[in-house]
Amino acid sequence: MTNINGKAYAMNAITPMKPWKTPLLKLFFLVLGAVKPLQKDLKNLSFIHFARWVCIGRNAFPRLSDEQPTEELKYDYLLFISNFNGTWNQYIDAFSAVLYKGLDAIWLWSEKYPGSRPVTAFKRYISFVQFDTDYYYNAYPHSATNDVKAAIRVQSAFTKFAQTSQSLSPADFQEAWLSFQAAVSPDLGATGIAPIGT
Amino acid sequence: MANVSGSTYGLTTLSPIIEDNKLNLCHSMQIRWYLSQLPRDHRSPFAQLSSTYLARLVVMDDVVFVGHPACEEHLKSRYLLFETNFDGDLNTYLRRMATEAGEFVNAVWKHCVGFPGTDTVDAFITYMKTCQIETTFFFADVNDQTVESTLNALKTQAALAHFMEKHEGLPPADLQAAFGKFVERLHNAPPLPRGGDESRNIAQERRPHD
Repeated sequence: MTNINGKAYAMNAITPMKPWKTPLLKLFFLVLGAVKPLQKDLKNLSFIHFARWVCIGRNAFPRLSDEQPTEELKYDYLLFISNFNGTWNQYIDAFSAVLYKGLDAIWLWSEKYPGSRPVTAFKRYISFVQFDTDYYYNAYPHSATNDVKAAIRVQSAFTKFAQTSQSLSPADFQEAWLSFQAAVSPDLGATGIAPIGT
Repeated sequence: MANVSGSTYGLTTLSPIIEDNKLNLCHSMQIRWYLSQLPRDHRSPFAQLSSTYLARLVVMDDVVFVGHPACEEHLKSRYLLFETNFDGDLNTYLRRMATEAGEFVNAVWKHCVGFPGTDTVDAFITYMKTCQIETTFFFADVNDQTVESTLNALKTQAALAHFMEKHEGLPPADLQAAFGKFVERLHNAPPLPRGGDESRNIAQERRPHD
């Protein structure tokens, strides 16, 4: 399935918005970008590598030639692109359970958005506005976002330990090794292929 | 600028696809056929573009009609949606696309309106920037690394877990000596392949580490 590469799922969704609402949504995103604590839940979920929302004005679809017909759209469009770990159902469930306020603040401007709760109506809406990916590349398909974060912590501790430990006496090394081991052990979980799910 | 989060750049482009009713296989379908055959692992053209974390290509046939009372409307062109997340700056990345993955870029974007080819790199960069749509909000969970440093960290993580398991209970002097050799071996080990390799089909416990 081309929406999936290793542990990452590529999601694309597009929703129509009345043009007068677009500046309000952009203002919300401006605040969300500037006030980092507002991103706390998104960050804490820790299963999204990268995500983006793109407001496309009704006159902003690129026109590269006079022969290309001019788009005549009444709506602006909100394009949502996400790279997440886990299954589609887990993702939407988590969004609905944890990020419902933020999601509603983003999508309430879109036509016929039902709200993120109850989740069944939300899932129906997302599946309706989602479209499939034709090609998906992932530089580290075996690793989820949490694996990456853990590996970075391990690398940092490992670099420090490797620099300082070789000049120690064997007894001091042993002591330092045990401390190092205790510090990095929680971050040494195995990576590998993802479980099958929908 | 919302296209950037930390050291990560999020590029989104929409390139109109050529419409030609005289063809047996329309341009959008030719793109789809080509992409369906393109490797997604370490042989991917994006693995050549070594600063790419995740990238996708999508043929967008139309916008969605969500039902009444919303208005039904349709696009007059199909668009090729290109989304990529990479470390570094846009000009360098686009230049590398043209020079290091030119065959792939030409094979895909030759089906798009106004594509100038990659022979003139500046013209290609200008074309891609014309197709670029500014990101309104970009979220990158880890945004202070490079692809290389991330792969290096993942390599260290896997190798260290194996080392600890293998050397459990050694006398301190032996452990210290083994660790010194391990550090050197890890330093000289080849990087993990970008995009993964055939080992993705091998269970973790059966993979060689060092």
